[in-house]
Amino acid sequence: MLWYKSWLETRWRFFIGVALLLCSAWMTVFSYPYVLKLMPLVPDVEGELGRQIRDAVELTRTFGGFVWSEWFRQNHSQLITLFAILLGTAGFLSRSGGASFTLSLPVSRQRLVAVRASAGLAELFVLALVPSLVFPLLAPAVGQTYGVGAAIVHSVCVFVASAVFHNLSLLLSTMFGDAWRPLLIAIVVAIALSVVERLLHVSGVGVFRVMSAESYFRHGELPWAGLLASGAVAAALYYAAVANLARRDF
Amino acid sequence: MVEHVIDASNLRKTYDGVEALRGLDLEVPAGSISALVGCNGAGKTTLIKILMGMTRPASGSARIFGRDATSARESVEIRRRIGFASEEHELYDAMSVDEMLRFTAPFFPRWRSDLQQRYLRKFELPLQRKVKALSRGMRTKLALLLALSRGADLLILDEPTAGLDPAIAEEVLQALVSHVSSEELTVFFSSNQIAEVEQVADRVSLIHRGRAAVAGAIDDLRERYCRIQLVFDDVAPDVTFRAPGVARMHRHGRVLEVLSSNGSAALLDEVRALNPRATEVRPVSLKEIFLECVAVEE
Repeated sequence: MLWYKSWLETRWRFFIGVALLLCSAWMTVFSYPYVLKLMPLVPDVEGELGRQIRDAVELTRTFGGFVWSEWFRQNHSQLITLFAILLGTAGFLSRSGGASFTLSLPVSRQRLVAVRASAGLAELFVLALVPSLVFPLLAPAVGQTYGVGAAIVHSVCVFVASAVFHNLSLLLSTMFGDAWRPLLIAIVVAIALSVVERLLHVSGVGVFRVMSAESYFRHGELPWAGLLASGAVAAALYYAAVANLARRDF
Repeated sequence: MVEHVIDASNLRKTYDGVEALRGLDLEVPAGSISALVGCNGAGKTTLIKILMGMTRPASGSARIFGRDATSARESVEIRRRIGFASEEHELYDAMSVDEMLRFTAPFFPRWRSDLQQRYLRKFELPLQRKVKALSRGMRTKLALLLALSRGADLLILDEPTAGLDPAIAEEVLQALVSHVSSEELTVFFSSNQIAEVEQVADRVSLIHRGRAAVAGAIDDLRERYCRIQLVFDDVAPDVTFRAPGVARMHRHGRVLEVLSSNGSAALLDEVRALNPRATEVRPVSLKEIFLECVAVEE
């Protein structure tokens, strides 16, 4: 029944996430023909900006490149980071969440965190996978194709990396009684990580690098080191959440 | 056979430098209805949280059904046998009454569906209404229903009537009394309403500033405690009695008032030697005992 409680707590965040991500994926697919028409109009610009524009144009020449550039590298990564944080925000200590009622049940605190984390991660997996399957399904509608295998591989990378943010907000929820502080702190951490990765050109182990799975897109190689690092960090954050809730006074 | 369902000894707990419990001892015999009485901030909720495994004491021991309530693992087993309602009647706001029932029942192997149905009818709880839309009275009744239906051996209620209007408070107390008379269980509840304690409980622990000031069977306390008023012809003498059990003495002009916790016989023998013009022995209420104990501590 703890699963049911977790589902009730997160279902609206989950449904909104699914709806938003599906809309975003659908728009990405159907904007492709228009982007192709606009490509000849792209101006020739010098310098770093020009290099980035040329890179984006180059990627857009193929549907796979466009999907990776627009979806996996940008929209999906950003939105799923936000929803990973939202789904991980648990309200363990909140009175309106019935903290003392939950603690009066014959259930260990470890199990409370485990069920809440599992429910959130299951929803996160759906958010990672289902919207990405829009591409193989709808690509023929714009005269293109997209492999189911590629969509699944990218989704797994997105899931593993975003699990870091889910478990971070889970840990923060064991530290703060309100829902806002875990949410805001996790978002600030995500933005900071994103900026640091860009500025320092962090290679394969960077969480957003793993999420975009650039090595898989460009060379067909899974970012194993990054996946392992993200998985390890997510696991460490989970155990920290368990330990913190176990030691807390209510 | 565990003689005391709850056995706490020398419990201490500090929050941010403030001592909530200062070596509290407590025994709750099996089958009793025991009340924990104290002012706001006396340590009642802290003690209950320790018993429920929500808070760990800094030192001391707390055992329920002979198990260590401060051990996370044993606490789970203990909670399987406890019906509990918190002071704020914290429930899940997002669930309906029906969902709360369906959620809670599977955790308790001895869940009493018959009691659930009985109290649903008695309290007239709207099954489909969300918890957050319930009035405080309805919320209290739902919390009580969820506690009573667990098929528990021990019921722990933290200020079950706090914030309720007198009519609903009475209804809740009557339901509790009626439940206890038909089921075999021990009840331990906290309150700062002496009248409701006298109405429901057979034992009481008066706690003040984190320590047990007085504890025992209510009838026994009423028998042991008495107020002896002595009126003298002149100013009342400043005396020290040798007899045990002098809980409190007041001198006002010609009147000397003694609160005894050990009956009046031994004291009266000493009193006669003082030659008072008049001697009166009066019984004291639980409220008076409580107020005197608090005053002594102050």
